[in-house]
Amino acid sequence: MTSETPLWEFVDISKAYPGVLANDKVCIKLMPGSIHGLLGENGCGKSTMIKTLSGVQQPDSGKILHSGTAVTISDPQAARDNGIATVFQEFSIVPTLSVGENIFLGNMPRSRLGVINWKKVHDDAARVLAEMDVDVSPNAITGTLSVGEQQLVEIAKAIAMDARMIILDEPTAALGEEEIERLHQLLRNMRSRGTAILYVSHRLDEVERIVDEVTILRNGRVVRASGETEINVSDIVSAMVGEDIGEHYPKEHNASDDVVLEAQGLVTEFGVTDASFTLHKGEVLGLGGVLGSGRTEIARALFGTDELSAGQILLSGKPVRFRREIDAIRAGLALVPENRKYDGLFFNFRASGNITAASLGGLNRFGVLNLKAEAQATHDLIRDLEISTQAEEKTVNFLSGGNQQKIVIARWLFSQSDILILDEPTQGIDIGAKIAVYKLINKLTRAGKSIILISSDHDELLAMSDRIAVVQHGAIKRTVKASDLNHDDLVRASADALHTKPEEAFA
Amino acid sequence: MKRVFDTQLIGPFAAMVIVALIVALTTDRFLNPGNLSNLSLQVSIVALIAIGSTIVIFAAGIDLSSGSMVALLTMILAQMLKFMGIPLVLALPLILLVGGLLGLLIGLITAYGRIPSFITTLAALIAFRGLALTFNNGSPIFSLDPALEPIFYGKLLGVPLPFFYLVFFYALAAFTMNFTKLGREIYAVGGNPAAAVLTGINVRKVQTMTFVIAGFMTAVGAILMSARLNSGSPNYGQTLELQAIAAAVVGGASLAGGRGNILATLMGAMTIVIVQNGLNLNAAPSSVQNIVLGLIILLAVGIDMWRAEISGLMWRVFGRKSSAKKVK
Repeated sequence: MTSETPLWEFVDISKAYPGVLANDKVCIKLMPGSIHGLLGENGCGKSTMIKTLSGVQQPDSGKILHSGTAVTISDPQAARDNGIATVFQEFSIVPTLSVGENIFLGNMPRSRLGVINWKKVHDDAARVLAEMDVDVSPNAITGTLSVGEQQLVEIAKAIAMDARMIILDEPTAALGEEEIERLHQLLRNMRSRGTAILYVSHRLDEVERIVDEVTILRNGRVVRASGETEINVSDIVSAMVGEDIGEHYPKEHNASDDVVLEAQGLVTEFGVTDASFTLHKGEVLGLGGVLGSGRTEIARALFGTDELSAGQILLSGKPVRFRREIDAIRAGLALVPENRKYDGLFFNFRASGNITAASLGGLNRFGVLNLKAEAQATHDLIRDLEISTQAEEKTVNFLSGGNQQKIVIARWLFSQSDILILDEPTQGIDIGAKIAVYKLINKLTRAGKSIILISSDHDELLAMSDRIAVVQHGAIKRTVKASDLNHDDLVRASADALHTKPEEAFA
Repeated sequence: MKRVFDTQLIGPFAAMVIVALIVALTTDRFLNPGNLSNLSLQVSIVALIAIGSTIVIFAAGIDLSSGSMVALLTMILAQMLKFMGIPLVLALPLILLVGGLLGLLIGLITAYGRIPSFITTLAALIAFRGLALTFNNGSPIFSLDPALEPIFYGKLLGVPLPFFYLVFFYALAAFTMNFTKLGREIYAVGGNPAAAVLTGINVRKVQTMTFVIAGFMTAVGAILMSARLNSGSPNYGQTLELQAIAAAVVGGASLAGGRGNILATLMGAMTIVIVQNGLNLNAAPSSVQNIVLGLIILLAVGIDMWRAEISGLMWRVFGRKSSAKKVK
């Protein structure tokens, strides 16, 4: 099946963003009839490569070869015309349209008069779905499907256009174990028909099962090209992370025996089924689990966002009840949300407005905000957290992800919160900024503050937590010392959920 | 003070000055003291109502109800003064209270009923006009109270009183928006309501408050309207809501919420009124005035939206010129 000429080849592709060289002379060969794994940590340049190959952006230098001929992929339509289909991590389906309409969006079969041929839309969509062994009606409104089904519709789009090159960016993040197996079977079928597949995933166990070759990126460079790396997890990890893994997680142990927060059998109607745990002063308690296991929902329950339908929260032994967020904030809790762009930052404010937003009451003197105190506190926090000084003058949309994240955390330093819930605090920020966040965690725990850390980065969670609570289906199954767990244990513990109750993975 | 008079004022201020220059150069009466004091009378009602409209816009809402609410409030005021024998000193605070309560109603339905403000205030726009018609069989009520007219036409040290109302309410609004917790929360809610929830801001309460402010300022405008004509009419205030929104937009307030300077709205209102005044002085028919107003709004928002492109274009144009010189 595999021929000698690659279907697509990158030769010395470079791409810079302000302040970052995202791709540095990247070379990759994508062979027909082969599943090529593209791996690396967040911010290593994977997304940049994918965007270049799918025409979303242009490289600064280098060549793209299609079956040996240099081509320019000027826009996403050009990529499509060249037979490249991309399944992006962020869904590009329209929730209000039917499955069939989504599958052929932008590519609707039409009659000679230019009218959409609905019968063909329906029949072709049904054929693609049947081929994928997906039991979804082409007429179903896409937004009513489960996240996993929506992801499969996304993949159906790529299949329907009969692409010779398919790029999958984290295709399984929202899928249950059975769906993953079905997807893999589908990919194998496509491979045997000569399709080239670029497969990006963070789940290394899965990569090991499906890919034929791997390319590993680190800091925008190819550190292992295809053929150089054995496809086994430990080799891949060491190549991905590089040699200085020890310094990546400068963990300090500051936990004491004082219990500052205790959750007893928390239940909400929004996905928490049974959460009990204790949090000690100066401790980092990690919440481990797969996507959708209920970690974020536990955070919401603690923070007064979702109402408790059962269970109780105790602060320093005293029962408390948070009817809304402000109650939790006043009691000393803080939440750094998973998606800082969605519900973390005020992009219309500079650092100062963002930092003081949760404690305006404290700045209030006889009905007037003490703007001098605000400016001084902002200045100090920017210095202490090593945030770009531009943040004092410019609105936060001009700052890098790492600086933005530090500003969200700074908000809760200013409010002098004692218990910080950090939901995916290092998502989408570069290695340097990650280490800065880890050091900040140390600084906080040293000062006697306690942290609940939610992270999908297993290594980060293992390294930075004192104890880890394993979350499955909204329940905390067990809490163990982080030092007693290794990466595989955590993956397995989290994944157990999928084996025990696969039907709930859809919910 | 740096915060109040920030760079966001430069554009609207420049627009106002340019428009005033053009009008001053094309007519000989523009700079007459009589015309200038007339100008401050003309701008006062719309500029005062625009304070509320702008604050609603800062919180990412929109208020379409103010024009009809003016009509309704002038009719209620007329009813109280003419037929119910309520003295002026009592009627005026009552009207301010009613305005605030109507705003509260709209705010509660919008924020707690989770209905977009475009819809709630559109409904209010239609319903308030109808409600105004239920008074006095739908006929205007004239000659309300001799003490009413001086509120609009009176002068202090030779300066029309509405000028002082403008100074007072704009100063109060600028203070509220820049130096109080409520002002900051309004910008926060407009900028990112989801983040505002997670920082403990009571988003619905803040949204409701913006409509209370809008209702109150509309009542201030309604009192001036009644005083100006010593009457109440169900036909007053037609399209006033759109002029108020236009003032906010020309002043650079973002309809997406969270951005803008309240003082710029005063400049936006001034710009609009100066243009109308200039067209009046040049004896342009009202049809032309409306066309020009439409174009101004388009231009003001356009310049804001295309800011990056315009500066890029300028850069290229000037860049080329300088390089051309070098070649020579």
